[in-house]
Amino acid sequence: MSGFLKIFNRSIVQMARRPVYWTAMFLLPLFVTLLLTSMMEEGLPTKVPAAIVDKDGSNLSRQISQNLGAMQSVDLAYESNSFTEARHRMQKGEIFGFFLIPENFQKDLLSGKGPVITFYTNMTYYVPASLLFKTFKTTALMSKAGIMLNIGESAGLSEQKLKPMMQPVNIVTRGLGNPGLNYSIYLCNSFVPCVFQLMIMLMACFALGHEIKYGGSVRLMSLADGNVFKAIVAKILPQTIGWWVMIIFMVSWLYRWQGYPMNGNWGWFILSELLFVLASQGIAIFFFGIFPNLRLSLSVCSLLGILSFSLAAFSFPVESMYGAIGIFSYLMPIRYNFLIYIDQALNGIDIYYSRWWFAAYIVYMLLPLTVGWRIKKYFDKPVYVE
Amino acid sequence: MGIFLKTYIRELKLIFSDIGIILFLAFLPLVYPVIYSLIYNPELVRDVRLVVVDNDRSALSRELTRNLDATQEIRVIGYAADMGEAKKAMHSHECFGILEIPQGFEKKVGRGEVSPAVLYSDMSLLLRYRGFLVATTNVAQEMGSKILAEDIAGQVPMASSLVTGDPMGVENVSLGNLESGFDSFIMPGVLILILQQCLILAVGMSGGAKREKPWKFAATEASCGLDVFLAMLGEGFAYLTVIILPSIYILHYVPLMFSFPMAGDPWEILLFILPLAIASIALGLCFQGLCRERESVFILWVVTSVAFLFLSGLTWPRFAMPHFWKFLSDLVPATFGVEGFIRMNTNGASLSQVSHDYVSLWILAAVYTTVAFFVHKFVVMPARRNNSNNIKLESKDFQKL
Repeated sequence: MSGFLKIFNRSIVQMARRPVYWTAMFLLPLFVTLLLTSMMEEGLPTKVPAAIVDKDGSNLSRQISQNLGAMQSVDLAYESNSFTEARHRMQKGEIFGFFLIPENFQKDLLSGKGPVITFYTNMTYYVPASLLFKTFKTTALMSKAGIMLNIGESAGLSEQKLKPMMQPVNIVTRGLGNPGLNYSIYLCNSFVPCVFQLMIMLMACFALGHEIKYGGSVRLMSLADGNVFKAIVAKILPQTIGWWVMIIFMVSWLYRWQGYPMNGNWGWFILSELLFVLASQGIAIFFFGIFPNLRLSLSVCSLLGILSFSLAAFSFPVESMYGAIGIFSYLMPIRYNFLIYIDQALNGIDIYYSRWWFAAYIVYMLLPLTVGWRIKKYFDKPVYVE
Repeated sequence: MGIFLKTYIRELKLIFSDIGIILFLAFLPLVYPVIYSLIYNPELVRDVRLVVVDNDRSALSRELTRNLDATQEIRVIGYAADMGEAKKAMHSHECFGILEIPQGFEKKVGRGEVSPAVLYSDMSLLLRYRGFLVATTNVAQEMGSKILAEDIAGQVPMASSLVTGDPMGVENVSLGNLESGFDSFIMPGVLILILQQCLILAVGMSGGAKREKPWKFAATEASCGLDVFLAMLGEGFAYLTVIILPSIYILHYVPLMFSFPMAGDPWEILLFILPLAIASIALGLCFQGLCRERESVFILWVVTSVAFLFLSGLTWPRFAMPHFWKFLSDLVPATFGVEGFIRMNTNGASLSQVSHDYVSLWILAAVYTTVAFFVHKFVVMPARRNNSNNIKLESKDFQKL
């Protein structure tokens, strides 16, 4: 049996023996994937708890309350008597916002005093508050349009003439690829692969670091005839294969079974995911070369792996970050995975536009070449530094 | 009592002599909140790039473009001759939206017909879409009411006074996070998560260290139930002592530095955090049952930060969660910690207003301390006593293969 195969088999036995490997490579990624995709299955929350403060109690204000209560996205769970009472409910977390109709609303309206309807949203929770904002605003504007229609009619204009006048300038906003604003589509496509990046990096450093910590690296190097790259590739390859299986499962789960948008070419997309595994392993081995110690390399991979969730700009765009921070966005492979997902799956555009992102993967895969000598040095003389 | 003090002091020594643990208790709480806050510190998404395809080329279409460009949310980077050219710009990542103004836009508005312009938005980031939506809604409304006023004035002179006077105002007020900034929304919750995770990771790692070298750091002599409990308590209290300063820094000075909303009473907030810290430490003590070596904590626990972030309801509200996940989130201290802290810190709630979260945290603290006791009695302590030379065993394993 050649040295390569021996190392390969040895690596498989080591992985099979320790539960920590299969927990980290199968259970945890599956758990998080399932958690994210099933938690947000609805796409958008419905029935956001809210309150109405109707200080007027007139026909008109009751009509508005009823309109609001009929909206699907809001649950008018409470009727409060005052602003203070509603605010208290919000502080207790019972509601995410409230709609306030002032005293003498109907009277002021009819006498032309221009009363103001105010709605309050608790922006400490973005998603429910934004939904409430939209519903409240629509209801308020619809009510306003209805009132103006009445005024116009009483001034002698026909409804036919009035209706388009209510909104003379009309701009329709269409979301490409995700018209329903499905939150799950927006978040899972970036967060799930980022979980994979974290775990891929950790496991690569874990396997290599263990060799040094427990002094197995001398035997590893002798099996590899002193060739450090042969040693690393044979050692990591079982993991690569495992991750490829996992990531293809993940892709099938998201884009086939969950039905997330896949408007491009499956071939390119799967190629991107396979290369992404190699790129993540590449950068992990690179970090291991710089910090050839189990604990340090795991610390670095954890820090950057977790930071990637924010830094890779899944929610807050790079161009809005400070320049000095935005450039770090491009530090980790997950950024390119995200950009390829946007181009190839969400928008389905020509592969030509994604060429640079693929090139970046190649760079990550070549990174270990720069630190091979250093890993060899530590593999030959393993010292576990506390 | 002797064993309590002995383990307490021994644990403090371990903490300050182990760089790995110090990393979690000092470096991470110090640096992570700052890096995170800096990433999102611009708060708002401004000037999202838009390309306009103007098929009307009228005064009104130009005015519409100008008005959109003038908003905080949108920057018009140029005109495209047709949709093909505009798409090319979008595909090359030069812009994130295309506004298509149809032919006859101005005429139709003048005739009182509906002629919508369409804004196609890239959907990779919802904040960009949100910017487009807010800006277009506002501009359409402003221009609309102006045109409406002129129109009605032309047709019914008397009615114009009614319209220009705006018969009914509509106002929105954002509470808590007044500017609706992203940093102020996400960071208070993340701070709590950082605190919880640092504690669990530090306690877990010390557990691994003690499994590796029990003769150096662990109270292996504790065998009867009470001794095990006291030894465990001693360990836990060491972390509670060490985390006091980092907590004050994270919960008070970080928000101060980045001007997050701070509407709560700082002492009440500290009081609220106490059970969170205890529950987290106890959870870490339970986690020690799984840590055969120091480094396992990275592999087994770091990724849970992502799961806990979502379980906490910060992004996807808890009322809309499926039952099973909601139940699971009830088991995580940070869930109640995030909820309560946000309400106190951002919405200015008092401790009594978040009593539900506060009581839940104390219950979790009690439950996890109990579980931790059994884990220590039946898993951790026996392992420390028997596996007294873990490293040598592992090494032999490696040599054989």
